[in-house]
Amino acid sequence: MGNKINFWFISSLLISALVAIPIITVLGSFFEPISDYYNILKKTFLIDYLTNSFFLLIGVLFITFVIGVGCAYLVSFYIFPAVNFFKWALILSFAVPAYIYAYSLTAFFENYGTVFAILNNLFGEGNYNAYIPKFDGLLGAIIAISFSLFGYVYVLTRASFHYQSQNLVELGKNLGFSKKRSFFNIILPSARPAIVAGLSLVAMETLSDFGSVSYFGVSTLTTGIYSAWISFDDLTLANRLSSYLLIFIIGLFILENFSRKKAQFHTSSKGGHRTKTLIKLNGYKSFLAFIFCFTIFLISFLFPVTQMLYWTIIFPQHLENLDVFKLFLNTINLVIISSFFLIILAFISNYGNRVSKSKLLQILNTISISGYAIPGIILAVAFITFISWMDSNIINYFEMGSIKSFFIGSTLGLVLVYFIRFYSLANNGIKSGYAKINYSIDEGAYLLGYSKFKTFKNIHVPYLKNSIFLVSILLTIEIIKELPITLILRPFNFETFATKAYLFASQDLLEAAAAPSLILIIIASFFILITSRYILKE
Amino acid sequence: MKKNFLEINNVTFSASSQNKINNVSLTIENQGDIVCLLGPSGIGKTTILRTIAGLEKNNSGTITLKDRILSSKEIQVEPEDRNIAMAFQDNSLFPHYNVFDNIKFGAERNKNKKKGLEINEIIKLLHIENIKDKYPHQISSGEAQRASLARSLLSNPDLLLLDEPLSNIDQNFKEEIQVMLKQILTEQKITTIIVTHDSYEAFYLGNKCGIILDGHLKQYDDPYNIYHFPNSIEVVNFLNRGTLIEAKVTGENSLESNDLGKITGDFIKHYPKGSNVKLLLQPEDLEHDDASDLKLKVVDRKFRGTNFIYTLKTSSDKLISVFVHSHHIHQHEIEEKFGIKRPIHIDHIVCF
Repeated sequence: MGNKINFWFISSLLISALVAIPIITVLGSFFEPISDYYNILKKTFLIDYLTNSFFLLIGVLFITFVIGVGCAYLVSFYIFPAVNFFKWALILSFAVPAYIYAYSLTAFFENYGTVFAILNNLFGEGNYNAYIPKFDGLLGAIIAISFSLFGYVYVLTRASFHYQSQNLVELGKNLGFSKKRSFFNIILPSARPAIVAGLSLVAMETLSDFGSVSYFGVSTLTTGIYSAWISFDDLTLANRLSSYLLIFIIGLFILENFSRKKAQFHTSSKGGHRTKTLIKLNGYKSFLAFIFCFTIFLISFLFPVTQMLYWTIIFPQHLENLDVFKLFLNTINLVIISSFFLIILAFISNYGNRVSKSKLLQILNTISISGYAIPGIILAVAFITFISWMDSNIINYFEMGSIKSFFIGSTLGLVLVYFIRFYSLANNGIKSGYAKINYSIDEGAYLLGYSKFKTFKNIHVPYLKNSIFLVSILLTIEIIKELPITLILRPFNFETFATKAYLFASQDLLEAAAAPSLILIIIASFFILITSRYILKE
Repeated sequence: MKKNFLEINNVTFSASSQNKINNVSLTIENQGDIVCLLGPSGIGKTTILRTIAGLEKNNSGTITLKDRILSSKEIQVEPEDRNIAMAFQDNSLFPHYNVFDNIKFGAERNKNKKKGLEINEIIKLLHIENIKDKYPHQISSGEAQRASLARSLLSNPDLLLLDEPLSNIDQNFKEEIQVMLKQILTEQKITTIIVTHDSYEAFYLGNKCGIILDGHLKQYDDPYNIYHFPNSIEVVNFLNRGTLIEAKVTGENSLESNDLGKITGDFIKHYPKGSNVKLLLQPEDLEHDDASDLKLKVVDRKFRGTNFIYTLKTSSDKLISVFVHSHHIHQHEIEEKFGIKRPIHIDHIVCF
């Protein structure tokens, strides 16, 4: 219906513009004169930053794809021991941030670490350190990030498999396909949008990760950006490096869109959708499926939780000194306010795109969701820079007093930057929900006399309640775990579990960081559990 | 001068730059009339409905309903403000409401109007009782189509658009639903445009039919005329209900064919004596007569319950079809000779 200027168009434009501001700031660094540091960097570590970031990304994408899709496939199509437990238990990996996983990995395998202690207790004293594998450097970072992020691929792929029509499975049988061929030719391609959405989230998170790569001493673009800002105090250089990341991400999006061409992945709307008949596995196949899922659950969740619990128990004084209630209130407050605005605005933006069908909006939307790829540190700094610029160039001009205190070191500023950072998460979740609503459903509503707003309120919102819950989980987990933005923009004396854990860890008090880390994991797990029941019921 | 209920004036319907139906002009004179549009798949029939409904933009000509311009180059009334209902081919039931609630949406639109059907009445008429508590994903496509139809009918629109409304409905149910549908539309005086590829359905339901071929509305007439007086060879080929054979006009009401000899009847169009024409022969034009000396070879025989359709080969290798009542005393096998009654007389002679 053309590119009409209406409420939806203007709303979408404003949201996209808000999210696009830091991206434009970052890309604007290309037009600023480069510093000497950049020339030095180009000759020295830039290639390392790029290659490490690339290999980190490839490694994480590969592992998360195999684990995420593998688990989703097994629990969606087969019956084997504890399958219903694994369905929700595997989501618990979301509760463990990569940097906490990195601490656990190191503590477990390091010289005289937990493995050493176990071996000592079991077999008596010995020189076991030489035989204990070390998961550090790039490998350690890949493992830590993969096991903390594979949940994105798992959750989205499982949802897609869950709604996949039984007809598809039977079609494969009808065509005489083997199980393997059915999987690769029918099941996997039809879940492709979900898998790609999951992998896109993983890719963006990986490229933004700072905690675990810096802990393992891997020089990536994010550590480079951090060094440029902290060590060289060169914001232009930091922005220039950020723009490489951004180009990387935009490239990924274009590649993804290009490969998908014009394929639409609506669910079947002609009826005939039946509940899938699950296949009962017997014998060694059943055992293998169980072992696969259990191993993933063990490595991704039980292992870091046990490690944190172990430290908390043997160092109880750190827990006693923690103001748990205040940290909890602070964290939840941020979660509720941010999630509320993110979901409402992601809805408006997506619906605007849907009714406007404007190419311009689609492009803005694609750019705006790249905010997720920009490391939190850069977003926070770009935000501070933007507010300062507004303050001195616009607000000052009208002699209206300073606005800095409203935005910097305030909950408002924190929520705004969270918005920019997590907009893609909310947007992608709502967008994939919308992909399931055939356009003829909207058209049917219009022809029943429903206005666009009424269609949105009475048809889309109730239908997308699953997506809202899913997005809420993801946002809650992300905000609880979020570190750099909170660290930089939080009000004075305002702490969350994440900042508290980080502050202890940065002072080399890993055992003190265990208590807030453990509570963070428990709270995140709680949110995952209450919502996973809902997801499973649906 | 009496105003038409719906007027489509010189509108080009375009689904894509390649797929257009050009300069369509069509009128529905009276409220309650039913028009069926026939045409091959992919020609753009659905686009016509979508444009009338306001779901596609119209860049040329005007569409006027009850004296109100709905769309033109300057005016584009929003779909929700047209009071036009449409039942889509791939049903558009709201997936998160059960069938009853879905149908209720139609009734809600009609709540301020006095006339119209009751929800339970339509549920009964379209045999939806057993599925009314089910969700769209739990019912078959035929059931979904009936539910979608019920929703549209209940909204009591000024104009109802039905896109292949019975395409997924079981054959044994189809005729019953067709009868119900016609009865409801006629009683409620709901003006309707139906898109279908089934010519029998169109001929039964429609007061008028439109044949869309090669990007044009080729013929717009009542079903009898469409069938018996097709206005072009393309329409004959599309309906696939006859054979064109070479013949020469020999008089005011006679022709001569090399295959069948002399044929008499009333020409619907004048041709000068001596003209070479293509004569349309429909299966009911010829009669079987075992005693006749005009014998053709049987190449196929279809049993259709009430009758047989014999396909015969002429001396010039043309295939022509002849209906024979199925109570006919004996059947003719393939390769056997089949007699055609002479003299051949056709009520109305259609030539091209």
